[in-house]
Amino acid sequence: MPEVRERPLGVIVCAADPPALDRLVAPGHGARMLRVAPDELMAVAKRDVIDDVRREIHDRITVLDDDALVVDDSDGWTAIALTGPDADRALSYLSALQPPAADDLVQGDVARVAAKIVREPDGLLVLVPAYWGEHLRTRAIEDAGGMAR
Amino acid sequence: MPSLRLDGRRLEIQDGDTIAAAAFRAGVRTFSRSLKSHRRRGLYCGTGDCANCLVTVDAMPGERACMTPARDGMRVDRETGWPSAERDALAINDKLHRFMPVGFYYKVFARPRWLWPLAERVIRRATGTGTLPLDAAARRTPTRFVRVRTLVIGGGVAGLAAAATAGGDGSVLVADEATLGARVTDPAARETVARLAAEARAAGAEILEAHAAIGIYEGPSAALLGPDELVEVEAEHVIVATGAIEAHGVFPGNDLPGVWLGRGAARMGATHGVSVGERAVVVANTGEGQQLAEALRTAGADVTLLAGRVLEARGTRQVNSVSVLTPDGRRALACDALVLSLGWAPRDTLLRMTAEPEVVGAGDVVRPGCTLAEAEASGRAASLGEADEPREADPWPIAEPDGYVCVCEDVSMHDLEHAWDEGWTSSEILKRYTTATMGPCQGALCSRHLAEHARAKGATPAARGRTTARPPVRGPRLGDLTGGVHEQVERRTALHDRHVAAGARMDHSGVWLRPGTYGDVNDEIHAVRQRVSVMDVSTLGKFLVAGRDARTLLDRVFPLDVGAIAPGRARYLLALDEAGYVMDDGLLAALHEGSYFLTSTSGGADKMEAWLRNWIDRLDLHVHLVNRTAQLGAINVTGPRARELLATLSDDDLSRGALPYPGHAEITVAGVPCRAIAVGFVGEVSFELHHPRGRSVELWNALLEAGAPWGIRPHGLDALDVLRLEKGHVYLAQDTMPDDHPAKLGLGWAVATHKEEFVGKRALERMDALPLERRLVGLRFDGPPQRGHPLALDDAIVGRITSCAVSDAAGGPVGLGWLRAVDGAFPTVLRAGDVTATVSPTPFYDPEGARLRA
Repeated sequence: MPEVRERPLGVIVCAADPPALDRLVAPGHGARMLRVAPDELMAVAKRDVIDDVRREIHDRITVLDDDALVVDDSDGWTAIALTGPDADRALSYLSALQPPAADDLVQGDVARVAAKIVREPDGLLVLVPAYWGEHLRTRAIEDAGGMAR
Repeated sequence: MPSLRLDGRRLEIQDGDTIAAAAFRAGVRTFSRSLKSHRRRGLYCGTGDCANCLVTVDAMPGERACMTPARDGMRVDRETGWPSAERDALAINDKLHRFMPVGFYYKVFARPRWLWPLAERVIRRATGTGTLPLDAAARRTPTRFVRVRTLVIGGGVAGLAAAATAGGDGSVLVADEATLGARVTDPAARETVARLAAEARAAGAEILEAHAAIGIYEGPSAALLGPDELVEVEAEHVIVATGAIEAHGVFPGNDLPGVWLGRGAARMGATHGVSVGERAVVVANTGEGQQLAEALRTAGADVTLLAGRVLEARGTRQVNSVSVLTPDGRRALACDALVLSLGWAPRDTLLRMTAEPEVVGAGDVVRPGCTLAEAEASGRAASLGEADEPREADPWPIAEPDGYVCVCEDVSMHDLEHAWDEGWTSSEILKRYTTATMGPCQGALCSRHLAEHARAKGATPAARGRTTARPPVRGPRLGDLTGGVHEQVERRTALHDRHVAAGARMDHSGVWLRPGTYGDVNDEIHAVRQRVSVMDVSTLGKFLVAGRDARTLLDRVFPLDVGAIAPGRARYLLALDEAGYVMDDGLLAALHEGSYFLTSTSGGADKMEAWLRNWIDRLDLHVHLVNRTAQLGAINVTGPRARELLATLSDDDLSRGALPYPGHAEITVAGVPCRAIAVGFVGEVSFELHHPRGRSVELWNALLEAGAPWGIRPHGLDALDVLRLEKGHVYLAQDTMPDDHPAKLGLGWAVATHKEEFVGKRALERMDALPLERRLVGLRFDGPPQRGHPLALDDAIVGRITSCAVSDAAGGPVGLGWLRAVDGAFPTVLRAGDVTATVSPTPFYDPEGARLRA
């Protein structure tokens, strides 16, 4: 049985020229860099380091693109972790998407809303805009929980 | 001893029993009544292929008794017959059959026209199957998505052989609608199934039992329905190995209880230890006659095995004798069970649903009547890309001139003849006219007979084919098929729980769930007009637009003069499409660092983002756009006391000079960082406080607490609808139509026509040369109006009311409505039902706008 749990995360969104993002050196603090579009990147990290992550990204990207936007988007996302050996199977109750490989990002429809999926050491992490957080939480528990039947 | 109740009668259950086995052992022979004639119907196929044994299980109709495992405490009801299936008063219909030939509905009740609705009601009561439990909670079946290299449908010898062979070569899924081997009675076949299942599992195949494939679709993909899930499978290859059943025999009395198809009868004996009768006649033209006879003898029946044509079965409550034309002549035999193995009918419905080369068959479904060794070889070959081509079943039983072709829909050979004589001369239109093949079994038994009938009548090749195979193969529940798709996905603001706790009625507003009212709409309106109020406007679309070309972009796409907006100021904005029609509206706030904060309507945010990104690309501009809709909450603080309220919670300068209308500033309210935008939608001093969503509750609570001395009330959409109407502001979509340009809406002032270029400019210039044929106007009424009501001039309808309300602030009933020009001029006095509507200038309330600038 997978465990379904909301995971508080910090999210930084960086919008910049694609070549600048290509050359951006990832910040420290365990931040995970997700290239969600050619001109947009999301950095995901623990909440308590997110200010440092934002600052580092800002300092590095503005050298490459002085117009780049770097904003804290932490409140805009809900992250649901599906953990345990059955995490991939749990996702199959929510989405037709193939679970990502270790460092990949998969974007698409999860429980009928737009989502981003990344692999974590203990399973999968599904991010959706916060206004769909309750929906995803409910669907994850009810549908992925259906594995118990 | 575990037991179930059938129509209230207690029946004991033995290990491994299906409902049918338990009921048959207890002496039940009539399982249902036929659709039209209410003839008795007993167990026939025993393999889930026909619809004779559909029963209601624990209030859920349409369960196949022969496939559903019996459980202790189960409540089973037969679905048809009045007052009961055993004693059915409507069986009189059988005597009247000659007066109800096929197609009689279309003729008898055609005239007079009023008769059909009455007749339909009676017919519907007298026919049909189970009753839907309307009071039962809807079941939500989760959907699971699976991708595999090979999907094998059918867990018999051919299917398992295919899986065992393919298993080492990628992911393989095997789906069987029963447990493996459940329909196999021959010991050698059971042994083969067990061996191949072990081999398939060892090779890495996953086997899903009790999962019925209900359809094959493009891709190929397939839907599998399990007890608690719908599995959507995308596969590179699909191997259909669903086997075959014995051909349906058509002869007088073929639908009597006691007439069985061979494998189902054998299963009843071999699997459940129940003999189908004391004296059984087996008529077998396939190679399985001896095997069937042995299975029945083992169960205790006295068996006569014959080959030949069944000419007639006789009986009343069940079969008691049979006439068979054998090679030695006609024989009449007394019996209480007639077991048929007249030929093979491959279960090929799934296979016929697609022509994709990735979908192939294996075993009985393509080589009907093949041996175990042949089935295994066929399965292995299919998985290696060397599938057998389907071949027709041989032999196929001759249909006698009488008897039921379609037992689901009570269509007899006479009916087919009758329909043919009326001119319905192809298998497809025979199907539509007679409804043969359209019952719960979906033509599993009768579709070949229909095609054969057309062939025998001399139909052209195009007119004698099998009827089209479509999903679902088995009868799923609608709830199973929806798989959650029926659910309305809603967006919630961070304040959702606060609204619910405050007793708000939550309404679906586009994609959002929003408070309609907190209970007293008038009090909410008064709070805005006389005191202070708050509204959750987190649903607004919110965007940050930055980059050295940000101003160029906004100037190029929007019709407002972006250059005229000084940092710290904001402007109302329209978004037009290339045709000059209004797509959306919002606010544009110029930030100090050369970037912009843009809001759109709640429902238009997604489209606005896509539209802007498209223009950034098309114009090749250096602009960065971030959608902040999810990140930022927004609360509108409004009313004559709004500025005072904010002043109690903020140390920032909130004076009219520092934060004028329409302007904006970064301030801190109750410790929460906000961008405050002075807005005017409801016509009072108003500040939208855009803030991090995670702090919405904190800010909301602080505002309500600090506003208590002024009698603060939150207001919802119902109040907003009146408030904005009093100001004459339009609701896009409610008050507008897809082809509205700004002038029609009275929003020409929002278009900077002097600008060289903006999206829609050329179209507006062309339309400017044309007279305005329709426009949105303000209306005052002399009585309560109704939204949507037509506006009439004399007897001609010249418009309609799009919004209306009885407004204290506006001094009576007011509204907005569409008005069409009549003879080049817009009428000013109209009728709207019983009330008079007079065109009136807007705003109805505070036309100078003094209050919102206070």
